[in-house]
Amino acid sequence: MQFVQFLINGLMSGAIYALIAIGIVAVYKSTRVVNFAHGYMIMIGAYLYYTFAVLFPELSWAPSWLSGWAPEWVIDGKNNAKMFSPEAAFYDWIPDIPRIIFGLIFAIIGSGIIALFIERFLMRPLLGQSNFSMIMVTVGLISVLSGFKSLFWTGDAASVPHLTPNPAFRLDFFGTPIFIFGANLMSMIIAAIIFGYIVYWLRKSSAGVAIRAVSEDQSTAYSMGINVPRVFAQAWLIAAATGAIAGAVLAARDGVSPSLGLFGFSVLAIVLMGGLDSFVGVFIAAMLVGVLEALVQWQLGGTWVEIAPYVAVLVVIIIKPHGLLGSPEVERI
Amino acid sequence: MINGNRKTSYLEDEQILNNNYKKAFVALMVALAIALPIFANDYIILMASLVGIMLIAVVGVNVLVGYTGLLSLGHAGFVAIGAYAVSIIHGLLTGWGIPDILQPWIALPGAMAAAALIGIVVGLPSLRVKGIYLAVATLSANFIIIFFIEIDTFAQWTGGRLGLTTPDPNFFGWVLDTQREVYVLIAIFSFATILMVQNLFRTRVGRAFIAIREKDYSAEILGVSLLKYKLTSFAISAACCGLAGAMWAYFYAKILPEQFELALSLQLVAALIVGGMGRTMGPVFGVILIVLVPEILKITMGAIGGGSIEAAQLRAPIQEIVFGSLIIGFVLFEPLGISHIMDRFFRALNRWPFARG
Repeated sequence: MQFVQFLINGLMSGAIYALIAIGIVAVYKSTRVVNFAHGYMIMIGAYLYYTFAVLFPELSWAPSWLSGWAPEWVIDGKNNAKMFSPEAAFYDWIPDIPRIIFGLIFAIIGSGIIALFIERFLMRPLLGQSNFSMIMVTVGLISVLSGFKSLFWTGDAASVPHLTPNPAFRLDFFGTPIFIFGANLMSMIIAAIIFGYIVYWLRKSSAGVAIRAVSEDQSTAYSMGINVPRVFAQAWLIAAATGAIAGAVLAARDGVSPSLGLFGFSVLAIVLMGGLDSFVGVFIAAMLVGVLEALVQWQLGGTWVEIAPYVAVLVVIIIKPHGLLGSPEVERI
Repeated sequence: MINGNRKTSYLEDEQILNNNYKKAFVALMVALAIALPIFANDYIILMASLVGIMLIAVVGVNVLVGYTGLLSLGHAGFVAIGAYAVSIIHGLLTGWGIPDILQPWIALPGAMAAAALIGIVVGLPSLRVKGIYLAVATLSANFIIIFFIEIDTFAQWTGGRLGLTTPDPNFFGWVLDTQREVYVLIAIFSFATILMVQNLFRTRVGRAFIAIREKDYSAEILGVSLLKYKLTSFAISAACCGLAGAMWAYFYAKILPEQFELALSLQLVAALIVGGMGRTMGPVFGVILIVLVPEILKITMGAIGGGSIEAAQLRAPIQEIVFGSLIIGFVLFEPLGISHIMDRFFRALNRWPFARG
């Protein structure tokens, strides 16, 4: 019954894919730009989180509570808790809370500033231009972002604190042991909550309705009094914020390294597989690819995992050109 | 180059070099290409060969992206196919005991055919999707090609992650075992490729490509078979990239799979955008800029920072940033590329002193 273990692993990584995919879909829905550089924005988010959650608290003039917040009851609780139990993991996590929050806030703010800059100075001048120009600008961004990354940070892989407690659970499923890491489970829950909230927000809030109106027809939305540039900025901010959180989650799981940027390409494949303008389709595709990768890892070994999303997207594109649930583009001849 | 093109006969109109600027430019380039191996030092030969190899590949990308309007971000995969195919075929032929002197004549067409074949397979999604979807499909293809080169299953032929030692070709009994000698081969093939692609767009096939670029449905209504011509375009484009890969393999002593990853694909498309899409001279200007800018940066940063380690560490990131900014800058401010700047320049030159621009 190893299958169940791999299925669970797949669902957990699928949730992170979904979290990253929000950024690409949100930007596409409102601005019709497919952001090839989203993976690199995530990488920048991860490095910002690393800077403010690991490097900054280590500075000599940083307040001491930032690097480790340990009131009496935490130390007591830690001493009383059993080794490797969930309680111990919880008490291990508490001292990290200030720097996690500090890091996350600055990662979101930093990515947000970058996203607004990109939107205002690179994307808005291209409003109404061909698809090709927009794609190529984001392709150029890949180089620029990765260049700035190596300008400020060295390329070494480093580890960062998990966002949530990380106990290891051992469950029995019909006699087979299944291991679940708390942090992976929690990031799956975080991803699901954020994803659900954004979909809900798009349906119900007035800003969400504005985004959907713009995605329907830009010029009509403009003439109905919707502030289209503001909608664009909002979409890029959503992408930046979810990207920063996803970057922090990924950095905690895999370590901070330049290879986080490449992650964006597999997510792009997933987004196309699900349908560029459908959150639900993308969620399904993310879960499918997550599970597919886990199964590939189980049956064929780790090396094949890296091409699983690309093969999947090629197959889906040939059968259903606009993805699982995407709406076909209507073209005027 | 709109002005200065007065023609008095159809024969004149059909010439490839139909005005004096083109004639002068091509004559200059030919003279430079001939003079280089005699006078230049090894560094300049290296740069010129890089320009030549990239040029062959970018001319191929131009056929697909510039003339047929199908965006591809996976052409490094075809370069890889060409480079590996030529090395593997040489190895096989040596194994079969075929004399060295015959080998390039089988290996070069073989490499181009292999790349063209893979190109047709990669081009299949283009029949159903275009734009962003095709870009991601070709990108995926690039990842998959590199993956298959790297995995252990084929490592006995491809050398896996460790790379492959490449052969020295033997043309008419002359073994090209120095970079200076291979440069001559590269120069000949670059000129031949540009000439052939330029000629292609004076034929029925080339015009069909342009019709597809302008509007694929309209082209189909006019009787252009999308299936046939889109795949032909992919095949020609991939074959050029395969040739570039073969030159790459001849030029360097060793090829590694990571040389043909996404970065090279982006470089090829970037060179095309910077130079100007759908123009014969576009790839030439673009490649020269894309290859030489990092070198100029290297020299200037060396002059400013001296030989210090800090300056050397900053070099790679700054090269990356400048490369990305070049793409963004050209897309934002001069989408038609350097070709268009040259057009305006020559137009102003022709009209001077009466009107500018």
